Amino acid sequence: MRRWAVGGVALAQLVALAWGSWLLAGPSDVEVKVFQLRPGRLDVKVGRSVTWVNQDDIDHTVTSGTPASPGGTFDATLAGKGSTTTVTFATRGVYPYFCSRHQAMRGEIRAQ
Amino acid sequence: MKRSLRSTFGAAALAAVLLTGCSQSMSPGHGGMASPASTSATPAASLRTALNTLFAEHVYLAAAATGAALGGREAEFKAAAGALDANSVAIARAIGSVYGKDAEAAFLPLWRRHIGFVVDYTVGAASSDRGKQDKAVGELVAYTQDFGAFLSAANPNLPKSVVADLVKHHVVTLKEVIDAQAAKDPARAWAATRTAAGHMQQIADPLAEAIVKQFPDRYRG
Repeated sequence: MRRWAVGGVALAQLVALAWGSWLLAGPSDVEVKVFQLRPGRLDVKVGRSVTWVNQDDIDHTVTSGTPASPGGTFDATLAGKGSTTTVTFATRGVYPYFCSRHQAMRGEIRAQ
Repeated sequence: MKRSLRSTFGAAALAAVLLTGCSQSMSPGHGGMASPASTSATPAASLRTALNTLFAEHVYLAAAATGAALGGREAEFKAAAGALDANSVAIARAIGSVYGKDAEAAFLPLWRRHIGFVVDYTVGAASSDRGKQDKAVGELVAYTQDFGAFLSAANPNLPKSVVADLVKHHVVTLKEVIDAQAAKDPARAWAATRTAAGHMQQIADPLAEAIVKQFPDRYRG
């Protein structure tokens, strides 16, 4: 019975840890894989940082705005597989972005 | 007097039609070679057959479009360009049937991109603009890396460098077709078209084999 309780507490702690790390990292990360942005649209709290991770063996960019109208807010290169870049969204707003090398790759960050 | 493509109906129109297709575009699965419906005995054989059919068709339709464009046959060009884009859509659907709708949506603009560079090269050939041709070739060679990266990310059995080299050969063989068409040498052009189409098996077969290896339960046989 005690074992169960300890086990239960340990399980609860594990769940809490996993949930906490998911809250900290999971929803703020965008995976760039097979020329896709996953997720394509991401909602974050104002002040949060978003990290993009490139899983493709090619350069991509994370460029604010749209191909027709680049925003100039951020423009980072993901130089090959495993590269990352992080942007902090300090102001509320909707931030479309795209890859300047593969302009069909488009995403959106909503900071609120 | 030599008629140039540009003077016939304009480079912009050429690019627009080739990149987006035209109103006469066929819908995959509604007749023509674009329908990959196969009667091959096993799913693996069906996949291989479908990919070979679509990739060979890509070359024949591209050659038809560039030949018509360089010959100043506008109506024929528009029809061929529409069929070529329908083929692009069908190839993307084939990729989507394996890797899902999101992959299909990502693949189609990537695939169409190389057709855009072929358009640039054709416009350069029509206007004897060596600089434009060289730029297009450079972009096509760079594109092979993108294409290799896409397929190797989707399928670990496809090394990026191997795919890129195969696609580079596709670029080279198709360039030979366009050069022969621009030189008004139909015998050389059609021989080169057969060579280019035949080469596509070297892309379709490894792609099919890699997919079968990745999903053996879905593509038995």
